[in-house]
Amino acid sequence: MAVELKQNMAGDRQLVRAALRGETSAFGAIVERYWNMVVALALSKVSDAAEAEDIAQESFLKAYSQLAGLRDPSRLAGWLSKITAQQCSNSLRKIVRHRRALGCRAAPIEALDERPAMAANPGLTQNQIRFVRQTVRRLPEKFRTMIVMRFVADLSTVQIAEQLGKRPGTVRVRLHRAYKLLRKDLAPLLEEVES
Amino acid sequence: MMTCEKYKNLIEKYVEGTISERQLAELKTHTQTCESCREEFERCILLQETIKQAFSSRTSAEQAGASLVARLSEEPNLRLPPARFGTALYAGKRAAIAAGILLAVGLFLGFALGRAGKPARTPLTAQVPISVDKIEGTVLVRHEGSDVWQALEAGSNIYLGDTFHSTAKSAFVLKLDDVSTLELNQNSMLVLRLYNDEIQFFLEHGECTASLESPHGSFFINTPHGRVEALGTEFTVTVTDE
Repeated sequence: MAVELKQNMAGDRQLVRAALRGETSAFGAIVERYWNMVVALALSKVSDAAEAEDIAQESFLKAYSQLAGLRDPSRLAGWLSKITAQQCSNSLRKIVRHRRALGCRAAPIEALDERPAMAANPGLTQNQIRFVRQTVRRLPEKFRTMIVMRFVADLSTVQIAEQLGKRPGTVRVRLHRAYKLLRKDLAPLLEEVES
Repeated sequence: MMTCEKYKNLIEKYVEGTISERQLAELKTHTQTCESCREEFERCILLQETIKQAFSSRTSAEQAGASLVARLSEEPNLRLPPARFGTALYAGKRAAIAAGILLAVGLFLGFALGRAGKPARTPLTAQVPISVDKIEGTVLVRHEGSDVWQALEAGSNIYLGDTFHSTAKSAFVLKLDDVSTLELNQNSMLVLRLYNDEIQFFLEHGECTASLESPHGSFFINTPHGRVEALGTEFTVTVTDE
């Protein structure tokens, strides 16, 4: 695990250096590496899948324009997660302003996500996907980030701690709390899927 | 029961992503004979898979990477600014501190030996007292020593050695002082260089218009075909391939 952690960080450092030299393909590789994590982080805050992907794109473009300011390239994932959080807040503020301008009330979360389940999610129905996302969205933000970085980006608690500049013990405690809450809230769904 | 406690710890490690290959193999072997641990472990895997599926992107990571690279290539406004500080400094933080100490010692010795009186030569990348006043469309700038073009913005700092390139239907105005300006028209390239110890403008191609304060001192625009001196308070220089 320690070896893998070092390899990932070395890979990130090399990609950032190459991108800073003007190699856009290196930035493409960064996008490939962290696309799923960034989309999932956005989806843990906004309900519309298309909007989450737009936020992900904008987050990467912002990251590209600010890449020279990234102080520690080995903490790329943590840096991207912060940019994504900021982009989500901006996007949510825009939606609120837009709705106020139109004089309409905020739509319920369910009404925003009416797209059919995609082939990428063969095991879950659209309703189940919606239920899982809503359950995760109800968690406190610090728990949501742990869940996404651990289960979507496949980073270990040690790696997450390194990326977010936190103590591994803090990350472990938060992850287990989030995991416990999800196990309880998703228990009926898990039983349904199992059967 | 004691052994199950050990495997519950291993399941926790699995959740954390810190389980080793050997420990995972051990856990799997145990779950073949212990129903309680098997149920717990299978539930844990299912929860992880469920979250992964529910939060997966509709666009593949490869497609997203390719699409962003294409967007960066198509839109010059999204070009990368050069790393003047930041990474380089951070990467060589210790080296920078050591260099700082050496520089301080060097300066002290210089003063002590009476050699510090000579004026320092203007570094080639020095910022110049010229500002970007107005921009229309897309104007790109490349700093000396860099091969990356980036979008010029109003208020950007200008450095000696900068090359400006205005694209089609684009133009920008450089403010030289309170009154004087230099406008670069579309499809033009202008370079700022030190010539005879003065900052001078080199119009590589295209067209620029200078508006100078009156009365003004000597003012030149250098071109590949010769040097043009200002004869009025406003003049235009055009460089074509013919």
